[in-house]
Amino acid sequence: MQRLLAFIEHNFHFILFIILQIICGFLIFGLNPYQQAVFSHSAASVTARSNQFSTDLTSYIDLKEQNILLQSQISEQFKNAPNNSFRFLQDTIDVKDSSSRPLFEAIPAQVIYNTTYKANNVFVINKGTDNGIRKNMGVVSSEGVAGIVLRSNAKYSVAMSLLNTDMKIIPNINDQEFFTELVWDNSNPHTMKIMGINKLEKIKEGDLVYTGRSSLLFPPGIPIGSIAKLIPKPNSQYFDTYITTATQFRKLAYVYVIINRDESLITPLMPDNE
Amino acid sequence: MSRLLYWISIFALQVLLFNHLDLTAFLVPQIFIILLITLPLHTKKIYQVLIAFGLGLLADLFVSTPGIHTSACLFLVMLRMTILNTQDLKEEIANRLNYTARNVGVLPFSYTVLILVFFYHLYIFWIGSIGAINTYNLLVTTLMSSVFSLTVIAILQFMSLSHSRE
Repeated sequence: MQRLLAFIEHNFHFILFIILQIICGFLIFGLNPYQQAVFSHSAASVTARSNQFSTDLTSYIDLKEQNILLQSQISEQFKNAPNNSFRFLQDTIDVKDSSSRPLFEAIPAQVIYNTTYKANNVFVINKGTDNGIRKNMGVVSSEGVAGIVLRSNAKYSVAMSLLNTDMKIIPNINDQEFFTELVWDNSNPHTMKIMGINKLEKIKEGDLVYTGRSSLLFPPGIPIGSIAKLIPKPNSQYFDTYITTATQFRKLAYVYVIINRDESLITPLMPDNE
Repeated sequence: MSRLLYWISIFALQVLLFNHLDLTAFLVPQIFIILLITLPLHTKKIYQVLIAFGLGLLADLFVSTPGIHTSACLFLVMLRMTILNTQDLKEEIANRLNYTARNVGVLPFSYTVLILVFFYHLYIFWIGSIGAINTYNLLVTTLMSSVFSLTVIAILQFMSLSHSRE
């Protein structure tokens, strides 16, 4: 305290100088018409900038909430998308009307753990059986296919990422299903490989790869990636096809778990289950 | 009494003559700042600030520029204190002398005056044209006015030196 008082006493002339300069500021910008106009103009521009800054800051703070809101909106739109609905004839004799109901539902979730550097990568999401999530459900990001649920507890689920050497998925290119598997060869977190596409097939680099109708986990038409390289194998009738994944796995933060509502009814009918 | 007369005459010169030169828009000399530059060396810093504030207000009163000269005078005394701290003036302070060429020597005095006069003019013309500053005009006005003021101050100091020799 004594030091503070000594400091003030020693620098009192400077404190007085500052106070008097402030008074001068009021005099200059309050009583001189030209300086007053300049000040008003500058003050207006400063106010506009500070308002803009405040708006940007508020928007930024609100981003997480907005993301969650957007996720729920996307999930709702997903449910109502025509691709995900089956049309049932109400009456086989008197065909008057048809109604559609969604086969797939999407549950928004956040990724809380994710790996991309292992041979068998997984990610953990913050939704579990309490939200209706169970083993073998598809997971997509806003960009495309992300993985398949491996196991769940009440609150969390672990999903096998596309970047997993155990992951196999049937690709659909140019509306044509290729009954060969799309696999990850553990070389690059953005690239997957399709073996055994015949050189006679009409595909080219840049073609998009989607999910088809050969899986009950994903609705058809969900992007998997695009053809990056098409390498004709020497002395073979096949291409080595490299795909760039649609999902950016290193940035994976928000996903949707796909629930096939009739999976329990459809699966027992499959030949494999006989 | 003679000091008060000196102050009044310098200020009267400023108000009645130099404020109305009207030779060119680039020439607006401020001679009266010599009063602040030559303040007695033993004057307490707080009084220097108050004197600068009062003198600035008075100067503003005659040219209808509220606050501009006051603010510039305050800057001038603070700058003066900083410069004087770098000069060895213990003896002069002990003898309660004014800061003049005769008392502190022509060289240190010229150095101080040169800086203070230039920055004073620069400051007032900068504040005066704030928001639409034309660097060329600002520098020309500052230089012309500073050179003119320095010449007058030099004459005043020369007269003072001659007077002391007599």
